[in-house]
Amino acid sequence: MTTLDAYLMVALLLFCIGLYGLLQRRSLVAMLIALELMLAAVSLNVVALTSLRGDNTADPPASSVGQVVALILIGVAAAEGAIALSLFVAIQREVQSINVENLSELKG
Amino acid sequence: MSWPGFLFGMSAALALIGALFAVGLKNIFHNILGFALSLVGVAGLFLTLGSDFLAIVLLLVYVGALGIAMVYAVMLSQPLDAPRAKRSLAKVAGAALLAAAVALALWLVLRGARFPPLEGGLAVSPQLTGYRLLSDYVLAFELISVLLVVAMIGAVMVARRDPGRRPGAGGAAARRGAP
Repeated sequence: MTTLDAYLMVALLLFCIGLYGLLQRRSLVAMLIALELMLAAVSLNVVALTSLRGDNTADPPASSVGQVVALILIGVAAAEGAIALSLFVAIQREVQSINVENLSELKG
Repeated sequence: MSWPGFLFGMSAALALIGALFAVGLKNIFHNILGFALSLVGVAGLFLTLGSDFLAIVLLLVYVGALGIAMVYAVMLSQPLDAPRAKRSLAKVAGAALLAAAVALALWLVLRGARFPPLEGGLAVSPQLTGYRLLSDYVLAFELISVLLVVAMIGAVMVARRDPGRRPGAGGAAARRGAP
């Protein structure tokens, strides 16, 4: 098992734990936590793959692409978290619950 | 065990244990703490990859900003001692099964994948990242900053109490069960 495989394995487990949480939890905040775990797993994958593989002797080195992509991912995750949390507050005010099972209005 | 190997093992264990806490525990505050713990582990993994700057940004954004915002959202929403309905076992089993199936599929893909070899050693410098961010990727950089501004203004607009609506729409009912 090479070093890269170890990183990819950790990212895989993190992603699947997040997926399980996203499917299983009912509180919207808990679902957001699970989603952010999945995003963190993805950025870990990107950084591991670009730092441990590819041509770093070239100018610019391959690893800097991964750094940039991971930074952009973190930025998107932050924006997403801000919007999601404000939506949760608004939903709580409207329905008095952030349990997803109470949020369906259509019957059937 | 070598020092980098030890660091990797500790960080990976922290990330996975934290993720299990974040997903498995019942109390939402414990979930948030587990999430922070997991992200500390991921930051440690970034450190072992030589990406110091990324690790610091991850700690600041996820553990700092997002963790605090989550605590804030939880405090504004559900009372912690509210009664919960029982989870049906079939749904939990279905979620676990699907997650396990995805894990298996991804593992099979990974096992078959062949990546190009590393040439020239671990070379990551914050200077170079900053330079690339403001030269080749300047459009993405600017778009992210616009996105963050829009998201922040949007978040304020969505969460703000609308003065034109009936007063106390989520008043007494929302605070039921609160001490």
